[in-house]
Amino acid sequence: MAKKIILGILLGLIFQSCNAVKEYEKVAINDPDMKLSARTSERYETTFQVYREAAAGANGGKSGGGCGCN
Amino acid sequence: MVVNQVVVVDVINMIKMKKIVIALSLFSGIISSAQEKDSTLVFKKRVLESVEVDFLLSYYNQDGSKSAVSGGIGSEELTDIATNIVVAMPLNDDAVLTVDLGISAYSSASSSNINPYDNGGKPTPWQASSGASQSDQLTSVTANYAHSSDSRNFIWNADVSFSNEYDYNSVGIGGGIAYLFNDKNSEISLKGNAYLDKWNPIYPKELNDYEKYGANSINGTIWDQNGQATINYSPTAFKTISSVNRNSYSASVGFSQVISKKLQFSVFFDVLQQQGLLSTPYHRIYFADKANYYIGQAQYIPNYESESNAGVYKLADDIERLPDSRFKLPIGARLNYYINERFVLRTYYRFYSDNWDIQSHTASIELPIKVSDRFTVFPMYRFYTQTQSKYYAPYETHLSTEKYYTSDADLSTFDANQYGFGVNYTDIFTGAKIWKFGLKNIDFRFNRYQRSDNLEANIATIGFKFVMQ
Repeated sequence: MAKKIILGILLGLIFQSCNAVKEYEKVAINDPDMKLSARTSERYETTFQVYREAAAGANGGKSGGGCGCN
Repeated sequence: MVVNQVVVVDVINMIKMKKIVIALSLFSGIISSAQEKDSTLVFKKRVLESVEVDFLLSYYNQDGSKSAVSGGIGSEELTDIATNIVVAMPLNDDAVLTVDLGISAYSSASSSNINPYDNGGKPTPWQASSGASQSDQLTSVTANYAHSSDSRNFIWNADVSFSNEYDYNSVGIGGGIAYLFNDKNSEISLKGNAYLDKWNPIYPKELNDYEKYGANSINGTIWDQNGQATINYSPTAFKTISSVNRNSYSASVGFSQVISKKLQFSVFFDVLQQQGLLSTPYHRIYFADKANYYIGQAQYIPNYESESNAGVYKLADDIERLPDSRFKLPIGARLNYYINERFVLRTYYRFYSDNWDIQSHTASIELPIKVSDRFTVFPMYRFYTQTQSKYYAPYETHLSTEKYYTSDADLSTFDANQYGFGVNYTDIFTGAKIWKFGLKNIDFRFNRYQRSDNLEANIATIGFKFVMQ
């Protein structure tokens, strides 16, 4: 049931987006704080989290290489 | 007859005229097309206007009581200072070359206790020794080339990376494509990476000496659990590692969507496969079904597991052993909402699962507050939880009959809370200058990390962005 609700919300969001936002309407979307990626200065936090936690990936960053052994 | 000749000549002339008209039309079409292309070139906005340089500096420290080097017990104290210089250069209107140079220097109680016996006769898992393995440095370089189409709706990139530290080096290659559509409101991206890594294995000192020089090679008296001198220490489970490569392959699919003038989200699906030596050769293991042996001062044996142990160290039964394959499946999503001119909401969630039976959830929230035209402060919070690997067991609870074993607490069950704040200063007019470079941005952030198994860490980062003028 929960999966269906999540799927419904996602589909709803996607279909809502069919009305494309024009470039001149993207003042808020283009705000630097609205970027859909980690901040440049966040990279070291991501690195230590990959070392200290088992999970990695799915954050748009590096997901391999290096031993992470200390 | 003459009339016929005239008619034929007229027809020939007409055909010639038609050819000329067609040729002229084609020529004018080509010229027109070329002019259009030229005008496109003239008015095409460069992907990157000028050279940008990011200078980043980070300080990190941590402490805990479950050192994997000491078999899941002992100090995890570690200090790391890292710096990176990232230079992005426009090669032409469409292409950008980014070079990222990094160096990271650390000192660590854990790694120093690969050889704890050079601590003035007082080896202990609770303090750093003064061994050569106490400190090390990691150097890395990454070069990335990105090219955008004239419409800026298609971007491809390729990268290559190298990193090196004392006992480990890594070579990476990767590439990806991104396609924007729906008036640049939607984007789909594909990415692939391969890292070909190689260990230069270092083993715990007592195991290394046992393997090389035999049972009586350890310098100093060995004590049994009762504090009696003994010569029975014999870690027969230990064998050196013959295969030292670790290869990591990843593929990622991303989709992002502008939902409204103030709301957008992205989702990432990654698949990661690791093969080769996935354990760390200097992580000790103590078996529950094997006798204990110590070196140092025997009076500290009864309180070995307490921080009051100031002078005895337990000899390892083996090193951590883990399968040579691991399949990881993380799925992540970001949702950002522009509340108003003062507040933005940034959120992130990730579910992770792998075939070592680890599952985790990560959720983070950040609330940038624009306090003026130039300053933004952003409080942030991150929650993380994971279940333990099927190969993990705490200090001295593995059995020697098991095939795989680790006492690395990073693979155990725990929750973690991370909270902190950041300050961002932006000057779009780059008023402050150093040589030819104007200062565009300063980004500072501090975070405190607390794990439910008592590991604690602090990290501070400052970044400067300069733009060539």
